[in-house]
Formats: sequence, structure tokens, C-alpha cells
Amino acid sequence: MITTTKEAEATVVNVTIREAKFDKADHFHSELVQLIDRGEKNLVLDFSQVTYMDSSFLGALVSSLKYALAKKGEILVVGLNKDIDNLFRLIRMDKVFKIFPRVPEALHFFHER
Amino acid sequence: MSKPSKTILLVDDHKFTLELMSGALKRQGFSCLEAQSVAEALSILDKQTPDAILSDYLMPELDGFDFRRILLEDHRMKSIPFIFLTSYSDEELISKGYELEAVDYISKETPVPLIVSKLNNLISTVHRQHEQSISELRQAAEMLNLKTVPERIVAVPGFQIDFWHKSYKDYPGGDFIDCIHANEQYTFLVLGDVMGKKWGAWFFSFSFLSYIRAAIRFCVYDGEYSTSVIMQKINQVISLDPMLGQVLSTLALVRIEHSSNEVAYTGAGDLPLLHYQTETGQLKAIQSSGLLLGLFENGSYSEDKITLETGDQLLCFSDGMIDYEDENGEKKSDFDYFTKSIQPLLARPDAFNAICERTVYTHTNRAQIDDSSLIFIKKTMPQ
Repeated sequence: MITTTKEAEATVVNVTIREAKFDKADHFHSELVQLIDRGEKNLVLDFSQVTYMDSSFLGALVSSLKYALAKKGEILVVGLNKDIDNLFRLIRMDKVFKIFPRVPEALHFFHER
Repeated sequence: MSKPSKTILLVDDHKFTLELMSGALKRQGFSCLEAQSVAEALSILDKQTPDAILSDYLMPELDGFDFRRILLEDHRMKSIPFIFLTSYSDEELISKGYELEAVDYISKETPVPLIVSKLNNLISTVHRQHEQSISELRQAAEMLNLKTVPERIVAVPGFQIDFWHKSYKDYPGGDFIDCIHANEQYTFLVLGDVMGKKWGAWFFSFSFLSYIRAAIRFCVYDGEYSTSVIMQKINQVISLDPMLGQVLSTLALVRIEHSSNEVAYTGAGDLPLLHYQTETGQLKAIQSSGLLLGLFENGSYSEDKITLETGDQLLCFSDGMIDYEDENGEKKSDFDYFTKSIQPLLARPDAFNAICERTVYTHTNRAQIDDSSLIFIKKTMPQ
């Protein structure tokens, strides 16, 4: 479901499913928690391959952010398609996550911090 | 809408057998996923959940037994019906397969029509058992008087209030609705969506509703009617709850003042409300600033005041109303599409029924893919 690449600034997590739904939510959450527990606290989640996200998966994503914040980490989100980006803004997820168009912009954010 | 085909994951290291079986099953209307090794099968299962798995015994590296053992350790995958497909008729192997909770054993020499009927029987048996369990749990919840959607909404003078709820595939889900008649002056309406998986979300929705009902009652008792203050109190107690603090929920809280045409609204990570102005025919989205319940101790809740003239309508709904699967099987969330498609319906005297009908897709082939809930408020009398 995910592949990871470790960069100097953060770990880039490529989400490799098309439909991010309730049946993948728990698994996704536990994979992110494992990464954070391993010390990879700054994550860039790349959703460019994802075409649809339901509320259960969003819940898992937000829970992962809560977990990361408690461990002094951060999760950035990139590659949202138009519909998902619109949904994020409608339900104020854009106030919860920092959203960037692509991975380099997100890595740049970590670099400049 | 045509019935979706059942998906079978076929695992066999022999490409020829795999293609032969896959071709035969596809001709019988199944969809097939093919893996030539256990590693490949696990990678497929990471992304998709088939209706059943048909796996060979003997394979290099990890064999069929190893595969089954791995699946049994995974909560998500252990319940997928698993059948061993083999050319061996060794009793010992068969018995080893059953010990690993394989639900059946099929010899590769079995004629295809028989394999198809075994698969169909197996999938429908699993489905029936599943439905029976759901039905029993639902009956138990009803006996305990646990309801996440009221049987009826109390009449509020000067307003027509209706609600509609349809769970996805009749599974209980995370959506909840309530109508709280606080006193002679105020009625509160709540609509929320617990962000979790079917049953998990359903169980938690009762806990959320208990806190919400209690917070409204306590606030009203203290003379506090502000929706933003009530929302902040709900959020605080939920954030402090060791269990619910790990779960997240949206919430729309609407207060109706019986003697006024002003409605107060505070949202927590919910979709914007839609306000239909009957005089101009315009449909306006009202977006709140508040964040999901349980996310941060301060959820930045604001209060919007909406003036409803006679005939004006206010719609409050969960994300299932805007999610759909299109003709090509692509799932989408489209707020603008939902808004545009219901706008012409709102001028009709039976607007509420028309929206509900539209949402069950009697007039389109776009399928429901999540719980859908709607609260419909219409101002009916001038003050």
C-alpha cells in the first residue's frame, strides 16, 4: 500500500492505492505509526496515485497526524487530485495539514524550517 | 446498475495453469487477479480484497500452507474464504489444509462448472452468515434502545424538519442524527459522521451522541444556547476521553429558535450547509471554521447566523451524499456536482422527497458508496 524513500529532510511515503477507503484505513494507519515509531517522524505523504478517499481513510490520516504531532513529528500532504483537494478545503483539513503540490515543495519546507 | 462481478485471487506458480483457470473463471463472469508466487499474492492483497482466494499447495519458496499461515495472522485477510487448489489427492495434505482453516479443497482435475458452483456457493454462504451476524447485532442494539438515527423528529412550529438516512449496503455506519427539543424556545439538530470502519464507527457513534446530548442539556440548563460554546464543550470532553480522543468525528450543530427566523450553526470538520433562498432561487454554501471533534483541544469553532425567509431551506448532510461511483466504476467526491444536481429540485413543493429520491439514484446509474444522511429544514410560516 505504501513505498517509502528516505530523503535528508523527511521520509517520502508514496501511497500506491487508487481508492483510499475504509478497508485499507487501519493498515495504512499502522504502517505510518510503525514509521514514526522507527524515528521517521517527518513524513511527506504523496497521494498522486489516489483518485478517491473516503471519510474512514481521512480519519486514519488525521489519527496518524495526531500521533506524529505527539512525537514532535510532522506530516505533509502532496499530490492531491482536484476532488480530494476540494474535499480537504471544504472540511478544513487544509487547516490541519500543510498541503503542497508536489514532493520537492514539501521537502523544501522541511529544509527551510 | 449491473451487479459487480465476484473477484477471485488465483495463486499458482505455473503460468499455464493460472491462465487456464483464469480464462475459465472469467468466461463464467468472475473477475480474476493472478499471482505466480505468494509474495506477488500478498502484494495484490495489500491493494485489493478479493471475494475468495484459490491457491495451489506446492510452490517454490513460500508454499500454499505458508501463504495461509500468513493470512491467518492478518486480521483483515484471515476472513477471506480460502480454497486450496491442487493436483494432489493426498489425504494428509488435505487434512493439513483444513487444519489451517482452509474452507475447501478443489482438485485441479475438477471440471470448471463444478469449480464455479463451489465458488458461488462458498461466497454466498459467507455472505449469508455475515448478514445473519449483522441482523443479530442490530436486533440486540434495538433491544438496548441504541439508536443513532431518531425514529421521528419532533414538530417545530413554523418549520418543516425532515431527515433521511441510508446506510451503505445496510451496514450500520458512523453517521448519526439527533433532534433535541431543549425547551419551549429552542430545538437543536445534530448530524455527525464518525470516521471509522462500519461497525467500529457505529459503536463509537453512540458514545459521541451521549456526550453531545449531555453537553446540550447541561448548557441549556445553565442558560447557555450558543452553538459555538456548546461545540467547544463537546470537543473538550471528547478530547479528554481516553477512548474517544483516538477517534474523530464531524459534527454539524444547528439551533432553531421557535419564535424567530434566525438559525444558528456551528460545524466541526463537516461539509458546508446549503441555504436555498426561495426568492432568488440561489443556493449558497455556508462553511464553518471548526475542526473535527477530538482533533485539538481548541477546535476554532465559530457561530454562523442564518436568516430563513418563508420558503427558504437549509440542508445539512454527510459526505455520503456527495460521494458516488460513476458509470466506469470510478469513485468520486463531488460537492459541486451534488449542489448543481439538487438545485432544480429545491423549487419544488416536495423538495425533500425529490432530494432523497435523487440520492438513491432511481434516475441515474451512479451508485451510493457510503452512509448518506440529510437534515432538511424549511421555514414555513412568516413571523
